[in-house]
Amino acid sequence: MPEKMKDTEPVRYVQINESLCNGCVLCMKACPTKAIRIREGKARIEGVCIDCCECVRVCPRGAVQAITSERLDLTDKDHIIVSPSTVLYSQFGEDVLPNDVLLGLKRMGFGYIHDQSYTSEIFNLAVELYIKENRERSDATLPFISPVCPVVVSLIAYRFQSLLSHIPPLATPREIVAREGKQRMAARYGKNGEAFKVVHITPCPSKMICMKESILQEHSYLDAAIGINAIYEELKRNIQDVEDDIVLHHSGGIGLSWGMSGGEISGVDLNCLAVSGLQETIHYLEKIELGLLSNIDYVEFRACSEGCLGGSFTVMDKYQAKRYLQKLIRMFGVERRVKYGYVKRLYEKGWFFTNKSVGSTPRLMDLSSADIAKGIERVKRIEEILKLLPQKECGACGCPDCETFAEDVADGRTTLDQCVFWKDRERKWHIRP
Amino acid sequence: MAEVSKRFFIKARDFVRAGEGAIQVQGLLKSIGYGADLIRRISICAYEAEMNVVMHGGDGELLLMIEPHRIVLEVNDHGPGIQDIELALQEGYSTATPEHREMGFGAGMGLPNIKKNADSLDIQSGNGEGTCLTIGFRLDAG
Repeated sequence: MPEKMKDTEPVRYVQINESLCNGCVLCMKACPTKAIRIREGKARIEGVCIDCCECVRVCPRGAVQAITSERLDLTDKDHIIVSPSTVLYSQFGEDVLPNDVLLGLKRMGFGYIHDQSYTSEIFNLAVELYIKENRERSDATLPFISPVCPVVVSLIAYRFQSLLSHIPPLATPREIVAREGKQRMAARYGKNGEAFKVVHITPCPSKMICMKESILQEHSYLDAAIGINAIYEELKRNIQDVEDDIVLHHSGGIGLSWGMSGGEISGVDLNCLAVSGLQETIHYLEKIELGLLSNIDYVEFRACSEGCLGGSFTVMDKYQAKRYLQKLIRMFGVERRVKYGYVKRLYEKGWFFTNKSVGSTPRLMDLSSADIAKGIERVKRIEEILKLLPQKECGACGCPDCETFAEDVADGRTTLDQCVFWKDRERKWHIRP
Repeated sequence: MAEVSKRFFIKARDFVRAGEGAIQVQGLLKSIGYGADLIRRISICAYEAEMNVVMHGGDGELLLMIEPHRIVLEVNDHGPGIQDIELALQEGYSTATPEHREMGFGAGMGLPNIKKNADSLDIQSGNGEGTCLTIGFRLDAG
């Protein structure tokens, strides 16, 4: 029976190690989608997980863990194309340049290294072209929202579905890099090019989602993702005393700045706004859903505070990493290195577009069949239950707050006697005035 | 009688939390399962009314009532009241301070915007008596 259930369960990249979990309320309280419950003394993910990793961050026992690709086979490094996140350049201190990091990867034996920061600069221009072309359309809904952070895209698909149309159908730089890398290998080695696998070195586990259950495209060109922390020590050893003079890094400061909040929009010459951190992201998505911020063209959202530097697979403290990155940006300068005409030609050829219109994905909740009368009955029942509860938001019932507990009781997922205050109601002291 | 009614407190001059009431109204309506367009219209009205209270009205409250054939937003405040209601309903007319305008508010679109999005609007206000807005939305059968 449990075997069979496993088949139908969605793939999860955040997992709870029950032997380490003591059933405290911290992860449950931190979860922005209220997906976690404590059942029989252990935390369980029961609702929609958007892989933001807030639970991983707050767990004091290391019981909540994020996984990446299942045991990646790195023995055949010749056939691996490595595409690191720009964040990787900020992880080794101020004396290590991006090219040193890429050469370090080469020394580790990977067959082909593809820098992402230059493609990011190209992407900036594609965003400009897309928005200039589409903002005057009668059905255009400003602001447009960046497709880059997978947690934000999941969050929109789960909680802000009316905003899906605000996301331009542009492939992210990491996908473009993977696609082009594979095509280059195919051109060079003929059919054997297909033997190449693209591995993304990532600051956060959410990249797994876009590979396996992509919302914005038909399929991902990435084959695997490994955390920065997983290769850190080996890479660090390989960076020391690099003396080769091959140039693998081509971007300027604009491409490098993508690792931090505000970096993506630094190269976009439009009315832009950058928001980072999950709570602020939710707050701003709510505002956009109310129709505010329509004077802004493009919003860069990053679920992690300070941007991708704050990802849960990074090694360097995010503020230190930011300092190193800012130093690199000053060193490389912030003028555009990408030719406008070149990008425009690529844009017109469809180079930037994803192959999917946002619509039917398994992650979207279907609300179209909602029964209003039932919905009202449910809300009434929830209000009645709430009146019995102390509103102390303690979490001892296994739900993140009293309102969620009331919902769970109304939906039959738990029972009222799980509330310790209700059980002890004879004592009256807990009842609200 | 309302089947469901829910009350939200609005604090004067709290521009940071302004809009929370509208967002909660939106969340509740979503959880019931109303159509996106209706929710959008109601949320916009709730937001505009809330902003009016925050800017001009002193403390107040927002009351959402779901009745069998309509949804009503009632917004009460203890502010100075609206001197000339007809004038306040004209687009572009505003008594907002320069401070409000600096924050991007006070374009004189609040009440006109509510009128545009609602099916009915009733304004009770007098000098020094506060303001009561009753904003109605029809729930068409089928």
